Amino acid sequence: MHRRLFMKSSAAAALAAGLPAAPALAQEPADFHIAAVLAFSGAYGIIGKDMRQGVEIAVAERQGRVLGKPIRISWEDDETRPQPAVQKATRLLANGAQMIFGAVGSASTLALQSLADQRKVPLLVTISADDKITRVGGSRYTFRTSNTLGMEIRMCVEFAKARGLKKIYGVTADYQATRDGWDLFQAEAKKVGIGIVGNDYAPLGNRDFSVIVDKMAKSDADGIAVMITGNDAVTFLKQSGQVGLGKTKAQFGPVLQDETLAAAVGPASVGVFSGVRYHFSVDNPANKKFVEAYRAKYNEWPSSFAGEAYDGMSWWLDVVDATKSWDREKWVEAFRTSTRENSVEGRKVMRACDQQAAQVGLWGEVVEGQAPLPPLTMKITNTFDAANLFEAC
Amino acid sequence: MSTIVIGLSLSFLLFLLAAGLTLIFGMLGVINFAHGALYMLGAYVCFQIVNWTGSFWIGLLLAPIVVAALGAAMEMSALKPVYERDHIYQLLLTFGFILVIEEAVKIVWGLDYKQVPTPDLFSQPVALFGSQIPSYRLFIIGFGATVSLALFLLLERSRLGMVIRAASSDADMAQTLGIDVAKVRTAVFALGAGLAALGGVVAAPLVPIELGMGFSVIIDCFVVVIIGGLGNIRGAILAALLLGMARAAGFTYAPEWVELITFVLLIATLLTRPAGFFSRKGRAA
Repeated sequence: MHRRLFMKSSAAAALAAGLPAAPALAQEPADFHIAAVLAFSGAYGIIGKDMRQGVEIAVAERQGRVLGKPIRISWEDDETRPQPAVQKATRLLANGAQMIFGAVGSASTLALQSLADQRKVPLLVTISADDKITRVGGSRYTFRTSNTLGMEIRMCVEFAKARGLKKIYGVTADYQATRDGWDLFQAEAKKVGIGIVGNDYAPLGNRDFSVIVDKMAKSDADGIAVMITGNDAVTFLKQSGQVGLGKTKAQFGPVLQDETLAAAVGPASVGVFSGVRYHFSVDNPANKKFVEAYRAKYNEWPSSFAGEAYDGMSWWLDVVDATKSWDREKWVEAFRTSTRENSVEGRKVMRACDQQAAQVGLWGEVVEGQAPLPPLTMKITNTFDAANLFEAC
Repeated sequence: MSTIVIGLSLSFLLFLLAAGLTLIFGMLGVINFAHGALYMLGAYVCFQIVNWTGSFWIGLLLAPIVVAALGAAMEMSALKPVYERDHIYQLLLTFGFILVIEEAVKIVWGLDYKQVPTPDLFSQPVALFGSQIPSYRLFIIGFGATVSLALFLLLERSRLGMVIRAASSDADMAQTLGIDVAKVRTAVFALGAGLAALGGVVAAPLVPIELGMGFSVIIDCFVVVIIGGLGNIRGAILAALLLGMARAAGFTYAPEWVELITFVLLIATLLTRPAGFFSRKGRAA
C-alpha cells in the first residue's frame, strides 16, 4: 500500500515538474517589482543618485502604485561596469522583477539589453545615448525615452549652422560611439558647407589636453566641437579656459555641459554651448509640477539625469497602468505605439520602428545664474525640431 | 618650442605624481597601492582649505601636511606590523587603504565634483614661442623642478638622507648604530603620502576633483616608476621627463598613438632593462 502511494506521488511530482510553468502573465504578483540597475559608484557614480531621485518622484506622484499594486524598486549599483549590471539584474529577475530600469553607461545598457531579450522583460532606458541601443530591427523589449547620440550630433550641426560657424576643429574621445559621432558630424557639417580644419582623438580619461588646446588656438577655426563628456569634458574646458580659448572660438558639444559639469569647470564654462537632455527651466505645466516636487523633496534643482529618469518612468508606468494587465507583452505593445503629450520636455512620440522616443532637442549656453538658480546654469538658447534630428525609419 | 614647454609641464606634473610612490618603495620596499587615493585626498583637502580660506597657496602648504600626518598614522597603526611579512600582505593592506580612503571621502564630500580654481597669480596665459601658454603650466615647471631638486638634495646630500638610506639598506645595522629605524620608516611613509597629496594639489586646478581621480593617475605613476627604476628618485625625474616629452610630441604629431607610445616605452623598459632605464646597480633612491 505504502509502495503504491509512493509510486503515485512520485508520478504526480514527475508530471508536475515536466509540465510547462504556468504563464507568469496570468498571475497577479503582490507588487510591481522594478530591477533598477544604475551606476552609484565608478565613473558615472554621481548619475545614479540623481536618476533614483527622479524615479522616486515619479513613483510618489502615483502614490507608489501601478495596476492597483504597490511599486517595489530594488536599487543595485553596477559600478559603471557591464558585468555587475548583468549579474545583479539576473538575480533580481530570478526574484520576480517584472522589468529592468537602467543602466547609465551604454556598455552596461547594451549588456542588459541582451538579458532583457533572453528573458522577455522590458528594459527602460532614460540616459544611455549609444545609437545601437535603439535601432530598426533591434531589441523588442528595449525602449529609450531620452536622447540618442545621433540626435545630439545633429543638434551640434544645427547650432553651428545657426551660429554661422564656418570652420570647426574637433576633439573626440577615442572610443567607437564618439568616433561614429564625429564621422556623422563631419558628414552632416559638410552638407551645410561647414569645413573641418582638424580633429584629434584623445584617449578616454585623458588628463592633459594642453597640446590639443594649443593646436586649436593656433588654427583658423571659429568653432571647437568637443565630442567628449564627463570628467574628460571638465578637464578639457578647465585647460582651454587657462588660455582663454572660448574668447575667440565658440566651444560646443553634444553632452558637454550641464549645471553639474559647469560647477566642476568653474568660470571657464561660461559661454560654452551644449546639448541639454532635460532642463528644469522648460516652461510647461508638467515640468513645473515636477521641479516643484523635486525641490521640495531634495532641496536642489533636478539634473538632466533626474529629469529624464522621472519622465521615462512616469510615461512607462502610465502606459502599463492603462493596459490593466500583468501581461508583459501587452505593456511592450502599448508602449511602442504610445505618445507622451505632457512630457516635461514637451511632446514625445515612441517610434514603433526602433522604440526610440522622437522629441525636440534642447540646446543651451552656460551663463552666470542668479539665486536661487545655481551659480553656473544652462540657459536654453535653441529648441530644435524632432523632424531635423531623427532620420525617418 | 611650445611643445617643449608643454612637455616640461607634463613631465614635472608626472614627477610630482610619482615621487611619493618611488620614495616609499625605495626606502621601505612597499608598493603603495594607496598612492592614488592619497593623491585624491590631497586634492579634496586642498579644495576644503580653498573653500574656507579662499587661498590656493594655503591649500598647497597645508594639504600635504594634513595627508602626511594621516600617512604617518597609517604607517604606525597598520603597516608597521607587516614589514617583516611577505609582500602580499603589504599589497593587500595598501589596497585596503584605498577602500577606506574612498569611503571616507564619499562620506565627507559626497559624490559631486569639486573644483579648485587656478590661482589668480597664474590665471592669465603668457605668449611664448608663438603660443599662448597657461602661466600655471610655467608654475608647475618651476615648482616641480624645485621639489625634485629638494628631494634629490635631501636624499643624496643631507645627513638626514644618509640616515634614511642607511635604515633602508640595512635596518639591523642602522638600529645597532643608534638610528631609530621605526621613526625613520614612519617619516618616509609620511613624506611619500605628503608628496602624493602635493601632486593632487598641483593637479587640482587642471582636472575635476572626484572619487575616481586617484585610480586614473596610478597607472601613470607606475609607468614612471617602472621606467625610472623602482625606488630611484633620480630615475623617476628622468623617466618623467622622457614620458612627458614623448607625450607632448605624440599629442602634437600623432595624438591617436600617445597611449601606444607610452606602453611601448614601458614594454621596451621591461624587456631590455627590467630594473628600469635609469637604475644603477645596487642603488636605492
